[in-house]
Amino acid sequence: MTGASPPNSLYGIDLGIPLDERRVVIADESAFNRKTLARFLQWAGIRRVEFAADADAVLGTLERFDADLLILDTTFGGHDGIPLCRRIRQDPRFRDMPIVMQSALNSDHLRTVCFQAGATDVISKPVNPGECIARVRYHLERRALVQELRSFRERIERDLRQARAMQLALVPEPAAVAALAERRGLAVDAVFRSSDEVGGDFWTIVELDDGRVGLFAADLSGHGIAAAINAFRLHTLLARVPEGALADPALLLHDLNGRLNEILPVGQFATAFYGVFDTAADQLLYAAAGTTSPILGNAAGLRAIDSAGPLLGPFAGAEYENRVEPFRPGDHLLVYSDGVTEARDAFDRMLGEAGLLDLMARALAAAPERPLHRLMADFDADHGQRLRDDLTAIWVARR
Amino acid sequence: MEFTVKDSPNATELFLSGRMTFADHDKFRTLIATFDRPAGHGMVFDLSGVEFVDSSGLGMFIIARDTAQKKNLEFTIRGARDEVKRLFTIAKFNKMFNIVD
Repeated sequence: MTGASPPNSLYGIDLGIPLDERRVVIADESAFNRKTLARFLQWAGIRRVEFAADADAVLGTLERFDADLLILDTTFGGHDGIPLCRRIRQDPRFRDMPIVMQSALNSDHLRTVCFQAGATDVISKPVNPGECIARVRYHLERRALVQELRSFRERIERDLRQARAMQLALVPEPAAVAALAERRGLAVDAVFRSSDEVGGDFWTIVELDDGRVGLFAADLSGHGIAAAINAFRLHTLLARVPEGALADPALLLHDLNGRLNEILPVGQFATAFYGVFDTAADQLLYAAAGTTSPILGNAAGLRAIDSAGPLLGPFAGAEYENRVEPFRPGDHLLVYSDGVTEARDAFDRMLGEAGLLDLMARALAAAPERPLHRLMADFDADHGQRLRDDLTAIWVARR
Repeated sequence: MEFTVKDSPNATELFLSGRMTFADHDKFRTLIATFDRPAGHGMVFDLSGVEFVDSSGLGMFIIARDTAQKKNLEFTIRGARDEVKRLFTIAKFNKMFNIVD
C-alpha cells in the first residue's frame, strides 16, 4: 500500500475519474488520524493533501493550498470543530467548498448540528476506508462538475454579451438616425429589444441618392442564437443588393428572397418590410413579406396597412408587390415586429393588432410629437419588460 | 400544441389543437414522423382546433410541406380559422400550400 504508484482502487474496485489534481486539507489534531486519512485519500487517487493541526492554521492552509475539500474533525481545537465549520462556510472564498466532518459521537443530534453549521457530509469514526473514499470522491466529483458547469456558463455568458454588443451595433445609432431624419424632414424613434441576449430582429434606415429614405425591418424566425446568426446574414445580404433595389421595395425583397432561399435551412425564414419615404412626392412606396401590418396615421386616423407577401427564404421565385400610400406632412407610420402584437399580459391575453391600435391612439393623445416612448411605457405596464420574443418598433413621421 | 392521428387507406388526418409556437418543435418532430407513408398518400392537417400560430409555427408548416414533397405525399391544410387564417393570408400561404376551408 505504500508503493511508488499507489493504485486508484480499493478492494480491486475501480474508483472512477482521476482526482490527482484535486487538493484536500485534513484538519485533525491527532497525528494518527491525519496519517490514516491521508492513506485513505491516497488509495482514492488523491495525491495532494495538506494538514492543519490547529484551528488558527485552517483558514490560512485552505487559502494557501487552494483546497477543493476539507475533512474536519468535530472535536478539532478542543470541541471547536463546529463553530470553525460555520466560520469557514461563511467565508465567501469557501462557500462552495465541500466540508466533510468526522465525528466519534454518532448521534443524529450532533449530525444535524454539523449540517446546520454548513457541513456537506458527516462520517463517523472510526472511519472506514471504503466509506471515506466514496464520500470524498463523491463530493470532489460533484465539485468538479459544478466548476465545469460554472466555467462553461461563464464562457457562454461572456460570448453572448459580446454577441449582443455586436447585434446592437448592427442597428443604426440613435444620433445617426436623428441626424438623417432631420436632414430629410422626418422624425424617427426606435425601440429594439431581444428576449434572449441575442435575437432575430433587425432594422436599418438608409438615405438614397435622390434624398428619399428607405426603412428596412425584418424578423428572422425563431429566437436566440440561430435567429441572430440569420439576422447577421440578412444584414450582409442587404449590403450587397443590386443597384436600384433600394429604390424599388419589391425588387429588394425579391432579391433577398432569392439569396436567403439558397442559404436558409427548411423551416427558417424572415418576415420583412421595406418602405421608401418620398417627401417630394408626399408618398410611401413599400413592399412586405408576410410581416405585421404597419400602422399608418394621418388626418383620417389610424389604420393598419396591407403587409401581405410571401415569407423571405422558403419559396424560390416568390413575387412581391409594391404598394403606395400617401405620406404628407404630419402623417406617421409605425413599423413593428410580432414581439409587440403577440405579447401577452398577466391574464394571458394577446395584445393583437386592435390592441396596438388602441395603445397608439392613447400614446398619440398623450404625446402627439413623439408617441413611441409613451406607447412602450404603456406596453411595459401591461406586458412587463420580460419578453417572450424579440421586439422592434420604429416610428417615422413627416415633420 | 396537441395532435391526434386518424388513418384511412388513402389519407392520414392530423387534428392539431392549441397553440403552435417555438415551444412545440419537439412535438412537431413526432408529428412529422407520421409522414412516413407511401407515395401518393394524402396528409391532411386539420387546424380547426388551433387558436394561435406564431412564426415558428409557420416554419413547421413549411417543414411539413417540404417533407411531403420529398416523399411525394399530397399535403393539405384544412380548417384554419380566425387569427391562423389571417396569418396564412398575410404570408400568402394560399399560393404555396393546398389550403381548404
